[in-house]
Amino acid sequence: MKQLITLNINGEENEISISPDATLLQVLRNELELQGTKRGCDTSACGCCTVHMDGKAVYSCVIYAMAAQGKEITTIEGLGGNGQLDPLQDAFIQAGAVQCGYCTCGMIMSARQLLDDVKNPDEEQIRHAIAGNLCRCTGYTKIVDAIKMAADS
Amino acid sequence: MAGADLIGQSVIRPDAHDKVTGGRGYPVNVSMPRMLHAKLLRSPYAHARVLSVDTSEAEKLPGVKAVLTAADVPQIPFSPVFFCPVESKSLVRDMLILSDRVRFAGQPVAAVAATSEVIAEKALELIDVEYEELPVVFDPEEAMQEGAVQLHETAANNVAKNPAFEFGDVEAGFAEADHIFEGVYQTQRVHTCYMEPRVCVVDCDRAGQFTVNSSMQHIFGLREKLAYALGIPQGRVTVIKPPYIGGGFGGKLDLGYIEPIAALLSERTGRPVRIEQTRYEDFITTARHAIKVYLKTGVKNDGTITAREAKSILDTGAHATHGAEVIMVHGLFGVVFPYRCANKKWEGFTVYTNNMIGGGYRGYGCPQGCFAVESQIDEICEELDLDPIEFRLKNAYQKGDPHPFNPNWSLNSYGYAEALEQGAERIGWNQRNPAGSSPGVKKRGIGVGTQGIWVSGCMGFPDILEHTGAIIKLNPDGTADLASGSVDLGAGQNTVLCQIAAAEIGLEAGQVRMSYADTNTVPFDAPIHASRGTYSSGLAVQTAAAEVKKRVLEIASFMMETDPEELDISSGQVHAKGSPETGIPITAVIDIAESPFIVDTEEGPGPSSPPDLKGTIMGTSSMAPPENPSPATALFVEVEVDTDTGVVDVLRCVYAHDLGRVINPNAAEGQVEGGMQQGIGYALMENLVFDQETGACLAGDFLDYKMPTAVEMPRSIESIFIETIEPTGPFGAKSLAEQCVTVPAAAIAAAVYNAVGVRIKDLPITPEKVLRALGKLD
Amino acid sequence: MALTELKEFCLPESGSEVVSALDKYGDGSLFVAGGTFIHGLEARGFLSGVEALIDLNQLGLNTIQSERHGVRIGATTKFAALAQIPGFDTPAFGALRDALSYPPMQIMNQATVGGSIAASCPFFDVPAAFQVLDGSVTAQGRGGPRDLPLESVYAGLFDNSLAADEYITSLFIPEQHARSCSAYLKLETNANDLALVGVAVRITVGKALTRKDRIRDARVVLGGGLGQTFIRSTAAESVLNGEIVGEELFQKAAEAIAADIDPISDQRCSAEYRAAIGQVYVRRALQQATQRLE
Repeated sequence: MKQLITLNINGEENEISISPDATLLQVLRNELELQGTKRGCDTSACGCCTVHMDGKAVYSCVIYAMAAQGKEITTIEGLGGNGQLDPLQDAFIQAGAVQCGYCTCGMIMSARQLLDDVKNPDEEQIRHAIAGNLCRCTGYTKIVDAIKMAADS
Repeated sequence: MAGADLIGQSVIRPDAHDKVTGGRGYPVNVSMPRMLHAKLLRSPYAHARVLSVDTSEAEKLPGVKAVLTAADVPQIPFSPVFFCPVESKSLVRDMLILSDRVRFAGQPVAAVAATSEVIAEKALELIDVEYEELPVVFDPEEAMQEGAVQLHETAANNVAKNPAFEFGDVEAGFAEADHIFEGVYQTQRVHTCYMEPRVCVVDCDRAGQFTVNSSMQHIFGLREKLAYALGIPQGRVTVIKPPYIGGGFGGKLDLGYIEPIAALLSERTGRPVRIEQTRYEDFITTARHAIKVYLKTGVKNDGTITAREAKSILDTGAHATHGAEVIMVHGLFGVVFPYRCANKKWEGFTVYTNNMIGGGYRGYGCPQGCFAVESQIDEICEELDLDPIEFRLKNAYQKGDPHPFNPNWSLNSYGYAEALEQGAERIGWNQRNPAGSSPGVKKRGIGVGTQGIWVSGCMGFPDILEHTGAIIKLNPDGTADLASGSVDLGAGQNTVLCQIAAAEIGLEAGQVRMSYADTNTVPFDAPIHASRGTYSSGLAVQTAAAEVKKRVLEIASFMMETDPEELDISSGQVHAKGSPETGIPITAVIDIAESPFIVDTEEGPGPSSPPDLKGTIMGTSSMAPPENPSPATALFVEVEVDTDTGVVDVLRCVYAHDLGRVINPNAAEGQVEGGMQQGIGYALMENLVFDQETGACLAGDFLDYKMPTAVEMPRSIESIFIETIEPTGPFGAKSLAEQCVTVPAAAIAAAVYNAVGVRIKDLPITPEKVLRALGKLD
Repeated sequence: MALTELKEFCLPESGSEVVSALDKYGDGSLFVAGGTFIHGLEARGFLSGVEALIDLNQLGLNTIQSERHGVRIGATTKFAALAQIPGFDTPAFGALRDALSYPPMQIMNQATVGGSIAASCPFFDVPAAFQVLDGSVTAQGRGGPRDLPLESVYAGLFDNSLAADEYITSLFIPEQHARSCSAYLKLETNANDLALVGVAVRITVGKALTRKDRIRDARVVLGGGLGQTFIRSTAAESVLNGEIVGEELFQKAAEAIAADIDPISDQRCSAEYRAAIGQVYVRRALQQATQRLE
C-alpha cells in the first residue's frame, strides 16, 4: 500500500509515494534519481550507500524511508555548493584517491563527518572513520592521504 | 620524443570530478523509458534435473510481463569467455542460457520480467519447479575418480581440459639433483569484489536490434558471445561502452546469465529489461579458481635448480568457463616459466565439480602458482641454509635471454635482479632474524615473493584475441577526442590512454578526452585484461596519435613554409624543433584544415590552402602489438604474528617492479596499493566457502566474506618502479597491475615462517591455522 | 531485498499507539529502532511473515538520566550518544568504552541500546559491556512495565525472551564502584565484523592493587561464538573473587571459562579455536582492565 511522504534531501522538500519497506537508499536512487548514493551490498557492510542524517553518517540501506521523515538528509549531491567542491571532494581528486570511484561518495560522506567532529585527525582516527567503507581498488592509501589533505587545508 | 614530458607526470584523472560529485557514468545508473525489471530463479540444489517448471501462477501476477524457462530460450552451448573467439579450440562450450540440468547451487532455472523488482521477486516465489536431485561431487580429485558422478557427457572423469608440457629431461634433472623437495599447495576460491554489481539493461527494438548497456570489461566480447548464445548475427547486437565501470578485476570478463536473459525478455516484451545482481548473486557468479599444486623441485647444493615437475588440479565448478584458460596461464606462467631450468614437466587438470563457476581475476592462475613455487623456494633455502635472494638471482632469467614462451622474442628489457636487489635493500633484508627467533609474544618476520615472467597483453597466445584500435580527431579548440573500445574499470585506462595520446601529439595534459564509443563506431579492441591496457591499447593509441601529429605537421609545414621534419609540437604549439616558444598554435593549423577551401578575403575570394590539406585532422589505428614483454616483480613484506592468537598483521610492504616506464606515477602507485589490499585479503582472510552437503554459499555477503578495510592495511606501502625502457612499448612501458596481486600470498607466507617458524601451505593463512601449526590447539 | 510482505511501517508517538499497532498486526509485527541488523537477519532467513514494522524512535526513549544509584538510558539512545553517560571516562566503564571503539561510524550513529540488546546476538559488542556492568532493562508490554536483568533477555541465538507485545524502554546501569575497572576485547577478522570471540570483564578491588586488597564482585561475560547467547562465566568469577590481582590468577580464571562455554564451529573458525582465544582474551582483558586503575 503506497503512502505519500515528504523527505528533506539536501535542503529541499520532496514529496514521494513509497511502499512501507522502501529504504532511503532505494528512494534516493529510484524515486528521486539522486544516483550519487550507491548500492554495493545488501547487508549494510560496504558503505557505498553512506549519507548524512541530521549531520551524522549512516548507511542509507538500513534507514527506512518512512523513518527518515522529519530528518535532514544530505547526500553527495548536497556537498559543496555554488559551483564549488567540498574540500574533501577536491582533495580526493588531487590525491589520486579515486579509481573506479564506486566507493568514493560513501567514503567522502564518512570523512565529512570525521572532519566535522575532529579538526586534525591522525592516521588511526582516519582509518577507523572509514572502517565501515570498503574499497577494492585503492588499498585506501590515497584515500587516507586525501582526508589528511582536506583536514590540513 | 616530442611531448614526452607528460610521460611520468601524475596527470589528474579526467573522470575524477564526475566521480566525486556522484558519478554519472556507471552502467548501474542506466535507465530507459518503460524499462522492466527482471529477476532470476536460482536452483537450491547443486546437482539436479529440472523435471518441470510451472510458471502459470507467476504469469498471472499483476505487473509480470514475461517469464522464461529453458523451453523458451535457444539451446546453443557456448563458452562465455570474452577474450577468445567463441568457437576456439581453447574454450569449452558447455554452458546454456537456461538448461534442464542444474550443476551448481544458484544456477538460474527461470526468469521473470515485471514492472518492478519487488513484483519480479514475488513472481519468483510463485514459480513451481520440480527437481530430481542428483548425487553431488564437490572435490575435484574425487570428481576425477572412476565411478564419480559425471557432470558433462563430453568430459570423461570430469576433466574438461588436460594440458601438459615437457621440456628437457626431468628424470635426468632429478638424478642430477643433490636434494629433491616435494610439497602440496592449496589455494582457495576468492571473489573479485568489484563494488559495482553486475548489471545490464538490454533493449530490443522492433527490428530485432539489441542495444546493450552492461558493467563489463569488454564490449566486443559481449557482443560476440551474446549474439552467439542467442543464435543471431553479431550485427544485430550493439554494445555501448560505458564511460567507466565500478571495478572489474577480471570478474566481468565473461557473458553472464543476465545479458542473454535480459535480451530475450526484452525481445518478448518489446521493452528494455534491466537486471541488477544482488551481492549474493555476485558472490556466486565469478571467482578465482581454487588450485591444488603438487610441486617437486630438484636442486644442487649451491641452489641451482636442476629439474621441476608439477601437477595442478583446478576446480572449475559446473562449467569450464575461464578454467579452460586459467589452467594454461597457471601452468605456464605460474609453474613452468619461473626460473631458468632446462628440465621441466607439468600437467594440469581443469576439473568439473558441482561448485560455482569461476571467472577471471587479476593474475589469472599465476597467484596460485606463485604461491606454490615461491613457498617451496623459501623451504629449500631454509633447509639448505641458502639466502632466498641469492637463490633467486642464481636461477633467474637474464636480460637478453630468449622469452621462455616464444624463443623468437627476447627479454629486451628485464629488471628482475634490480627489483630484488632494490627491494631487499629498502626493507632491510640483511637485518632479518632467523626464523622464529624474535622474543616476545608478538613476533616479526620478513619475507619475499617474486614473479619473474608475466605478460603485457596476450600477443602470441593460442586463440587469444590481441588487436586494438583507436580513432583520434582534433577539435577546433585544440582539444582531441579519443574513441577506443577500451573500458575504464577504475585502474585509469582513460587517464593513461589520454595521457599517451596527448604526449605523442604534443598537447597539454587534459586536452585529450575519452569520448563515446560502441561496437558500431570503433575498431575492435581486445578486453581490458591481461595487463594489456598500457602496452597494447597504449600502443594503438600512440600509433593513431602519431598519425594525427604527422598530419598536423604536414599542414603546418605549408603554413610555416618549413619541412615537416624540422617541426615539432609541444603544449599545443607547433614550432621549429628546439624552439618551443616560437611557431603557431595548433588551433591555427586546425583552422586551416577545417576552413572552407575558398575563403573571402579583402583581396577577394581565394584558396585558404591546397585542397589536399582539407579535412578533419584525425588518426586511426587497428593493430596487434609486436611482442609480449615481461615485467618483473619482487615484493617484500614485514609481518607481525601474535603467537597467542595466530593473528597476522602486515606492517609494511616494499613492492619493486620493472614496468619499463612509468606513465602516471600516482596511478601506478594506486595499482600497487590496491593490489596489496587484494593480495593481503587473499593471503589472510578471504574465502568463498560452501556448505559441503548442499553446495550453498556460506560467504555470500560482506558480513561473512572478509576483506581488508583501511584498518587492516599496512601503514607503509612503498613502490619502487624500475624503468628498463622496453623498446616495443609506448614510451617504453610494459605492464604493472596483475603482478601486484600475484606475489603477496607467497611473500606473506614466507614472512610468517620467518616470524614464527611455521609454514602454512594452504590459503588463507588464518589465525586458527597459525595457532594450530604452533601446536597451541589440541 | 526488503521485507516484501510488509504492509505498514508504523511510527507510534505514544505507548497507546504502539498497542494499536500491535492490535492490528499481532504476531506479524516487529519492533525496530536503529534497524542496522534487520537486513543481515533477513538475508539469513531469520525473518519472514513480517507485516508491520513498529519504529520506536518517536517515543522519546532517547534520554540519558542520572538516577539514584545509577543511570537510566533510553532504549532508542544511539551508540554515539553513550559517551555522555556520567562516569563514562572512569576505569569502571572501560568495557563500554572498549566496546564502542569497535563499530564503524555508520553503526555508531544509528544502532541503539535497546535494539542491540533485543537482537539477542552474542556476536555484538556493546551488550556484553552492558552486562558486565550489571545492566538491567525495563520492558513494556500491554500489561505494563517489568524489569529484568540482561541475562534474562536472551533466550537463544537471535531469540529474546520478551513477549510479542513487549519492547525494551530503557537500560539501567547501576552506579559502579570507584575501584571497579572493566575491559572488553573482541576478535574480529576485519574492522567491520561481528565478534568471533568477545570477552568483557569487570573486577573491583580495594584501595590499591596490593596484597591486602582482594577482588570482589568479579564479572566475566563471554560472547562471540563462545555460546548461543552471552555467557556469564561464574566459574571464572569464582576463581577471581577473594583473590589478589596477578598474572597467574588471570591465567587461572581464563582456564576456568572452559566449564561455562559451549563454543560453536562455523565457516569462520572452529569451536576449539574460539575456546582457546576465549582464554587468551580473558587474561588480556583482565590485564587491560586492571591497568586502568594503576
